Amino acid sequence: MPTGEIFFEHERWGHNLAWSAALHVGVTVVIIAYAWFATGGHGSNWGAGGGGSAMGVSLVSNVPLPANPVQTQSVLATESKGLSKSQPKPAVEEPTAIPIPEKNAKRKPAKQPTETQRQPKPEPQQQASNVVPFGEGGPAAGPYALFSVGAAKGGFGFTGAGGDFGSRFAWYVRVVNQKVSENWLKYEVDPRIQNANRVYLTFDIDRSGHPSHIQIEQSSGVPSLDTSALRALQRIDTFGPLPPDYPGSKVSVEFWFDYKR
Amino acid sequence: MHSISLRKPFYRNTIHLIPVISRFGRLLSLLIAIIFGVINVNAQDWIKTGTGLGVEKIRIAVPDFKASSQDPKDVELLKTFNDTLWNDLDNAGIFDMASKSFYPLGQVGAPADVKFEAWSAAPANAAMLVFGNLGAANGNITVQGWLYDLKNTASPQVLGKQYTDTATTQSVRTIAHKFADEIIFRLGGGINGIAETQIYYVSSRSGHKEIWAMDYDGANQHPITTLGSISLSPHISPDGSRLAFSSFTGSGWEIRMFSFDLNRLVSFPRFAGTNLSPAWSPEGGKLAFSSSRSGDPEIYVIDQSGGNLHRITTSKGPDVSPVWNRKTGSQIAWVSGRTGLPQIYIMGSDGTNVQQITDTGYAVSPSWSPNGQFLAFSWMRHYGPGAPGSEDIYIMDIVSKQWVQLTHDGGRNDFPSWSPDGRHIVFQSNRSGSLQIWSMLADGTNQKQLTTSSSNSEPDWSWK
Repeated sequence: MPTGEIFFEHERWGHNLAWSAALHVGVTVVIIAYAWFATGGHGSNWGAGGGGSAMGVSLVSNVPLPANPVQTQSVLATESKGLSKSQPKPAVEEPTAIPIPEKNAKRKPAKQPTETQRQPKPEPQQQASNVVPFGEGGPAAGPYALFSVGAAKGGFGFTGAGGDFGSRFAWYVRVVNQKVSENWLKYEVDPRIQNANRVYLTFDIDRSGHPSHIQIEQSSGVPSLDTSALRALQRIDTFGPLPPDYPGSKVSVEFWFDYKR
Repeated sequence: MHSISLRKPFYRNTIHLIPVISRFGRLLSLLIAIIFGVINVNAQDWIKTGTGLGVEKIRIAVPDFKASSQDPKDVELLKTFNDTLWNDLDNAGIFDMASKSFYPLGQVGAPADVKFEAWSAAPANAAMLVFGNLGAANGNITVQGWLYDLKNTASPQVLGKQYTDTATTQSVRTIAHKFADEIIFRLGGGINGIAETQIYYVSSRSGHKEIWAMDYDGANQHPITTLGSISLSPHISPDGSRLAFSSFTGSGWEIRMFSFDLNRLVSFPRFAGTNLSPAWSPEGGKLAFSSSRSGDPEIYVIDQSGGNLHRITTSKGPDVSPVWNRKTGSQIAWVSGRTGLPQIYIMGSDGTNVQQITDTGYAVSPSWSPNGQFLAFSWMRHYGPGAPGSEDIYIMDIVSKQWVQLTHDGGRNDFPSWSPDGRHIVFQSNRSGSLQIWSMLADGTNQKQLTTSSSNSEPDWSWK
């Protein structure tokens, strides 16, 4: 029985097959290459952990930030130490040249007027009696020193203005200080505030010791701090009666609050 | 008893002085001072001061008073006087007492004896000096006392007083109390001293629980009632004329009223059930107390005359131990068991606006501070099996709910009561083995035992 090839007429697909294989290999290579390069070549263990070596991290206590190049100093900006204004430097006059007489000169040079004759007499300067003479105010020995030194009449020498309550009744000032400090509740201030400007309050103390006319003289810019300072005063009924020897009817107080958390 | 004030000569203000400490303040005040000085218009006294200037306790030296007469009996009175004055100033809580061993040699009996440099220099380092003399003649004693500001040599006198009274130990103590209170009043910011205050409490030393009284320092303990029953929760009226307490009678626990003017019990309405802890309103016109006349203990308010009773709590669960806001009189703090364990609550005096103050543990015995700002109370913060079981005194700022623990000794501390100056708290504690009365500063320091005999409890500090 004859056998015959049914599909004797084969299509010539070897060529196409080669192309197809080459194309597949090529696409595979492209994919692998893309995966390798695009992801940085982590290898097969990426994300598995434990593969790499430990990175050394050490804490530094302070980062060496660039230092402030300008060193500012809180000094009184005058050239004369201890004075509120610079003293004018006395003008040093150049000595006038004396003409050398010519040799064998017969005539004498005309007589020059002497130093004292040439300068006119300075006019006596009139100074207002209520002005601290310029440059004569002395060192900055303010009246605050009396608080600790204890000399009631020393220090600043201007008279006739105001009273000496602070020095005569230093104990009362201390009481005021203590009482306001005690009644100032810092937790009333906004907890986010770390630092604030000083807030100034003014109030009067009448003879019975009751504070009145409480006002914010200068705000700190932080409303909750201003309010807490006001409340500190409002909480106080009395500081105790003013000293019986004090002749005035009231004392005015300027009180500041420094806030730091 | 007479007391006269030794006044200093009067003189006019001459210079304007401003105490300022900080560097910036110096400059500022200097400028202000110059402006004021130059303008020369303001004859008003100004104080310029601020926080952060180092507020510390005033360092005070109190040398023994000098005997101005030579009588053997005076020595004893003088010692009593010196001890009482020292203790009063020491207990005040606002002074740093310079130790007597640091004092310069020589007695100080009169202003001429004061050597300013010696007292204000080391080791005494005193800022203030209390001195004077005591003498007896014809059965009377005369005490002269001064308070000097040592930092101010030009006009040092803050206070000068002279007292005369009969020469007995009690009157000498009274003079010392009065003089100490004058000093505390001047240097403590216008708050009256407590040296003449009384503490009322329950003592069982007679065999029955009776109401007793003593001076604030534990001296002079004496009974008020002799009912032969059980008397509890004494509360003195704000003016000190009446004492309300609860007592067990045949029909149950009744509110009783003792009058110091009449020196006997006066009538007060009786109610059914258990009636406990009468508390005075600050103006003295009303009483709040707890009564179980309707079944559950509830808070009632009644006029001090006994009329106009009305109930202000209605919740299920016991409501007991009311106290009034001593500053405003418009609020009542009390203990309620409406959520289980007793907790502190506050409400308006008409029963509205109820607010829970504590929410954990076991909190009882509220006491409202004289300035209205704080509640002192007794608290077991951890209560139940396995908890340490210590009961301690706490104070809480009512507005912020911040609290501070004042006792830490592990015993059971209860029934705190504020002193009228708001600087002290008296309470009962069993830390010594038996139940006794203790006092302390309101920051928890300086704890002192006031009673020792038998068992003493439920102290109540007088209002003035």
